[in-house]
Amino acid sequence: MKKTLSKFFLIFFALFQFETIADEKNYHKELITDWSRIFPDQNRNAAGPKFFKYIIDKKITYKDFKEFNKLYCAVSGSLIDPDSEPNFLYANESKTKEKICGNYYKCCIPCSCDIMKYSEVEKMKHKFLDGLKEFYVFTIKNPCNKKDFPSRVNKDYFCNGKKINNDQVYNLNGRIVIGLLHKGRKCKKDDIDFVKNHQVTGRFCELRNNTPLENLEAGMGDIFIKLAR
Amino acid sequence: MKFFIIFFLLISINNLRAEFFEDLSKIIDDNNKRLSYGISVSDVDLDGNYEFIVTGFGYPNLALSFKNGKLKNINQQDIFSDPFRRTIGVAACDIDRDGFEEIYFLNTDTYSGVKRYSDRLIDIKDNNYFDLFELENNRKNLNLTAGRSVVCVDRKGNGKYGIYVANYGGPTRFYEIESDEIKDNAVDLNLDNVTGGRAVVSGHILTDRSDIFAANERGANYLFKNKNGKFEDVAFEYRVDDVIQNGRGTALSDIYYRGRLDILSGNWLGYHRAYVLKDDQFKDIGNKKFDKPSRIRTIISADFDNDGFDEVFMNNIAEPNRLFKIKENGKFEEIKLNTGMEADGYGTGAAVADIDNDGILELLVARGESKEQSLTLYKAKVNKHSKYLRIKPINKFGAPARGATVTLLTNQRKHSKTIDAGSGYLCQMEPVAHYGIRKNEKDFKVEIKWTNGKKNLIEINSLNQTVTIKQK
Repeated sequence: MKKTLSKFFLIFFALFQFETIADEKNYHKELITDWSRIFPDQNRNAAGPKFFKYIIDKKITYKDFKEFNKLYCAVSGSLIDPDSEPNFLYANESKTKEKICGNYYKCCIPCSCDIMKYSEVEKMKHKFLDGLKEFYVFTIKNPCNKKDFPSRVNKDYFCNGKKINNDQVYNLNGRIVIGLLHKGRKCKKDDIDFVKNHQVTGRFCELRNNTPLENLEAGMGDIFIKLAR
Repeated sequence: MKFFIIFFLLISINNLRAEFFEDLSKIIDDNNKRLSYGISVSDVDLDGNYEFIVTGFGYPNLALSFKNGKLKNINQQDIFSDPFRRTIGVAACDIDRDGFEEIYFLNTDTYSGVKRYSDRLIDIKDNNYFDLFELENNRKNLNLTAGRSVVCVDRKGNGKYGIYVANYGGPTRFYEIESDEIKDNAVDLNLDNVTGGRAVVSGHILTDRSDIFAANERGANYLFKNKNGKFEDVAFEYRVDDVIQNGRGTALSDIYYRGRLDILSGNWLGYHRAYVLKDDQFKDIGNKKFDKPSRIRTIISADFDNDGFDEVFMNNIAEPNRLFKIKENGKFEEIKLNTGMEADGYGTGAAVADIDNDGILELLVARGESKEQSLTLYKAKVNKHSKYLRIKPINKFGAPARGATVTLLTNQRKHSKTIDAGSGYLCQMEPVAHYGIRKNEKDFKVEIKWTNGKKNLIEINSLNQTVTIKQK
């Protein structure tokens, strides 16, 4: 009994004395530190693809990859606070046109609507430090032929002439990857009901996605829409 | 029962140890509530002792001198106290090579852009202060842009200091005296950038001459590399640009105890940085506790408790202050504060000096901004067996060699400190390298790297003294 008690107090005291300083990786800080490397001209408008490319090119684990991809908005190119909550939503898969559900980390709610309407998801494979993984990504079609390419977006980030600029963004089957759909999977009926009845992905998005582009006022989405439509 | 007694005894010992500072604020004479900002340390009355120069925002600027156990304001001249202007930044250095440190008071009556009242540059003649900017031939070069911090830069290493004025919403100024006239040479020196200037330090950061690091808001930081007296911004190349954070307080510190000055940079509600140079790039090695975002203002690196390891004091506004000890290999260990925490303090600036000449640093904290508060003064509770060594380099003209680097060489460390030219936020520390001495430390030597890059090595035969070293 005496021994147990002394052990207990010694352990308790050690914990009390030495607060553990577990220095976990700070993904948000790393993106902030490298921001000027990712956006040398400081224009991050609709530049989610730049973030994705920067992250996928890193020598990291799949966990790191997922964590980094929670911290920027694939639509606007904004950084997202580390504690932000995602929206559960769906987008159509390019090949099958099936609805794929998952979590999307956004800077503001209009972006959830825009990504549902103007992007498609594709399955992608990549070899990380801890092995080959498969996941769903949001993609947009090649915008480089557009005559009305949005002026506030740095075209050089996306395009090399009329082709996708593979040095700057990730080209997946002729489409540009703009971000990661977290925990992506084929939607079930309940999932679709949830998305359609949610106050953002349902009601708000229905309103936004039926509003003419010239009348859209909220968010950076109008720039993205011009790029992705 | 015995275990309980030991257990609670250990907890009590731990709590006793946690009290790092003692509060000496009661020794400040007439310590009324006011809006104070930057603090500098200089010898304003040429008596051989340093004073704390405390700025007032619509309140008098003070020169606090330690006399008879009290910190008393010894200034009685209106041009110095200047209560109708709103002074926030301050730095002192000898710009005309006469041995007296002229005092630059940066006044700001607007947040950004054009301001109404200019700054003051205080000189002395026959014991009377006067403002160099009020002389007729200097009136064309007034700084009428809002600003924050100022730093002294001996860019040519010849003892003739210039003053870098970190303006906000207008071009940076770099004032020097040429033919008895104050000139702004910022354009010729590649320093005339427009940004949200906040904090600035100068010293041997990259070269053997005075380089400049400026922490900015709403724009990239600058790291100006000295190239034969002119400057080139290399912040991006050296990875200290930190574009999307808002700089606030900065200081030079030998974070690895390796004989070179690295950079601490506190960001307003952003990640604080502990930049150490490795392979021609700065790497941020601050741990999660250190870099935790806060409402930071001044940041100070100094050995408060004379144990031979520097502490980093983070002065936050309307948020508790924080203190870290820099252990070997750049490990930041938080020291819990009770005294000095100032959870309800509106900290605006802070400076250190051994104002009472007892070998222990005092920390004076200025408070104000949106709430009038009194000054606070702290001193670490120091082990009575602790020892210290203070090195005071004086340049050829008899002035503090601000921007010089002192390196203590012993059997245990190679520890550099800057002779502060301006640091923290709006502030400037005493121009002395203060070292506490570690356990079992011996073989003391000191190397001075002057602002011209030349070095002197001095043997130290006894401790617990201030060694004044004159440049030859």
